[in-house]
Amino acid sequence: MAQLNVTSVPWVDSGDAPPLALDRDKRDIISQGVADPLVDYDIVPLTYTNSRWSAFFYRADEKDLKHILPKCLELEDDIVEFWYVDHLHTGLGPYGEMGVTVSASCKSGDGNTYYGGYYPYMYLTQDAAVFAGREPFGFPKKIAYIVCQEHGGKEDDGYGGFGNDYFNFTMERRGYLIHTATGRYDDAELSAKPAFYGDPRYGRMNLRLITDPSLRTTKWDLTYLPSEVTEATANAMGRPETVGQHRFQLKPESIRTASANAIRSWVLAATPFDNCGAMMPVKELIGLMSFNFDLIIPGAQTIWHQEIQRSDEDLADLLFATPYQYTMRHRFPKPPGV
Amino acid sequence: MAEMFAITQIPGAETGEIPPSPVDRDEKTAFIYSLVDPIWDIDTLPLTYTNSRWSAFFYRADEKHLRRVVPDCMDIEDDIVEYWYVDHNHTMLGPYGEMGVTVAASHKAGDGKTYYAGYYPYMYLTQDAAIDAGRVLGFPKKEAFIRALEHGGAPDDGYGVSDSKVYQFDYFSFLMIRNGYVLHSATGKYDDADLPAKPAFYGNTEYGRMNMKVVTTPDVASSEWQLVYLPSTVTKGLATLMGRPESEGSHRFQVKPESIRTASASSINWFTQATPYDNLGHELPPKELLGLMTFSFDLIIPAGEILWRETYTRDATWAGAAKPYRFGLRHRFPKPIGLGA
Repeated sequence: MAQLNVTSVPWVDSGDAPPLALDRDKRDIISQGVADPLVDYDIVPLTYTNSRWSAFFYRADEKDLKHILPKCLELEDDIVEFWYVDHLHTGLGPYGEMGVTVSASCKSGDGNTYYGGYYPYMYLTQDAAVFAGREPFGFPKKIAYIVCQEHGGKEDDGYGGFGNDYFNFTMERRGYLIHTATGRYDDAELSAKPAFYGDPRYGRMNLRLITDPSLRTTKWDLTYLPSEVTEATANAMGRPETVGQHRFQLKPESIRTASANAIRSWVLAATPFDNCGAMMPVKELIGLMSFNFDLIIPGAQTIWHQEIQRSDEDLADLLFATPYQYTMRHRFPKPPGV
Repeated sequence: MAEMFAITQIPGAETGEIPPSPVDRDEKTAFIYSLVDPIWDIDTLPLTYTNSRWSAFFYRADEKHLRRVVPDCMDIEDDIVEYWYVDHNHTMLGPYGEMGVTVAASHKAGDGKTYYAGYYPYMYLTQDAAIDAGRVLGFPKKEAFIRALEHGGAPDDGYGVSDSKVYQFDYFSFLMIRNGYVLHSATGKYDDADLPAKPAFYGNTEYGRMNMKVVTTPDVASSEWQLVYLPSTVTKGLATLMGRPESEGSHRFQVKPESIRTASASSINWFTQATPYDNLGHELPPKELLGLMTFSFDLIIPAGEILWRETYTRDATWAGAAKPYRFGLRHRFPKPIGLGA
């Protein structure tokens, strides 16, 4: 029987990849495992180049939207952004993404009212991007199967000249279809957009819950990312010219739209594992807007905080004290991994 | 107008088979986000595993390599590494594949007590909920493509293969790939040999398990390292909370002796490599391969205890990518389509 162990690490010697975590200052380790972090410091701040965003807009019932917001947030608008992204070149590698954004505000203890797009749901196709989003910043990311497809509408010679008249978006998780939408862009003027579109007052907000290993305490942090590049981020990046620029740089020439009539099919289903279809059903579909963009995501500010303490009795409430029948949620097709 | 189809009813919600969303519960029961639809929830606790299949390669490693991957607050107890795959069929986090490395270590705690444990420097899984649940307890989990296969060597009538209680399969193949690179592959045939040595924690209830958890603040200004400890036996508190007082004092990890198969080193083909994304092949190469032991087991994972903590702070001069790495090599890999389908 044979054995082969290849112990060299590609490109560490040339400086193309950072030194191994164990050869660096401990301050430079930002996630576990400490021998080989899931996300490492060469990603900070997160940058995205030439990603493609496809956002469906729909009106939802205000009572549904208030239901999904945490108690520290007020609802600002009834239009939901239900979006897919095809990320090609990022500090975390390429991946697909899907999410939901709701306009909200928080009256903070510092006397300011912060406005932001709040994310109740997010799905991605790979682990580093999921945990870079979850662990420091609070993005509520899960992993799903995601397809973002644009094609057709012009002759395709095989050298990048493909068209993008038709679209197809699909997301599946745990064996259930959560969403699919297909159609053809008609480049119509959309009748309405979410409040945060084009308004630099609106940053982005996430609610991060950090539970300690004993389950005795959970810290709730409402994290806030301003819409513009701050002086500190610009300096940290060595790009002082970016101060005051929007973190999200849209490429106007890349915009395509589809009116609700041009969206051929739309399916949104609640599943035993993912409840978006139940919590945020569509009242009125408005349309789709797709565009390319660049993005910077810096460290976040915490604008609201609470800490939950659990007694023995509270802890028992977490541990089968209220058992759920048949554990239906824990039977799904075994994934082979990404 | 778009043909629209909306399924707003959650299967199992109306019968009580799945819990309500945390936004409809006492906030004390919310412990993982998102608040409206957590990646895993209260119906998973404590984590239990039934009839999983463990396949552990044993090898000796150089002590200087072991010293590097074990944090400074711990001592090495043994030079034998457990390099393992698991096929989980029935767990409170759903089915998944897993791979990891365990090293025997100890920690002298502030209370004067010495804690012994298997410490995990590396772990990989095939699905998100299990990764996140593990990371809360400090397990260093990443996601990878994992195959754990046993087959051949006995007649197969088509019944009894899928119940996972058949242990007659002779051949094995294990494979792990991440971001396009093969990290490890091993194939061979069980010969049921006596293995020359096992890791120190095998059969020793003194050894619990330890992880080093890292919690970073949203502004990235500080990170706290927490050494998390899980004892090897079910404590009275856990047994009581589970409503299973008879389990007090039993091992959390119950091996099924009738399910054990082994392969000597000479029955194994073995390949590992370090990649730009995963350094295991560099940090812990085998010095001497000892063999493979495979068995089925049940497991309970309770909440953990923090034995040691230390905080590292970063001021404005710390800037991450302000010391950029050339060409972003680590961030160019095949785009994954995600799990499933």
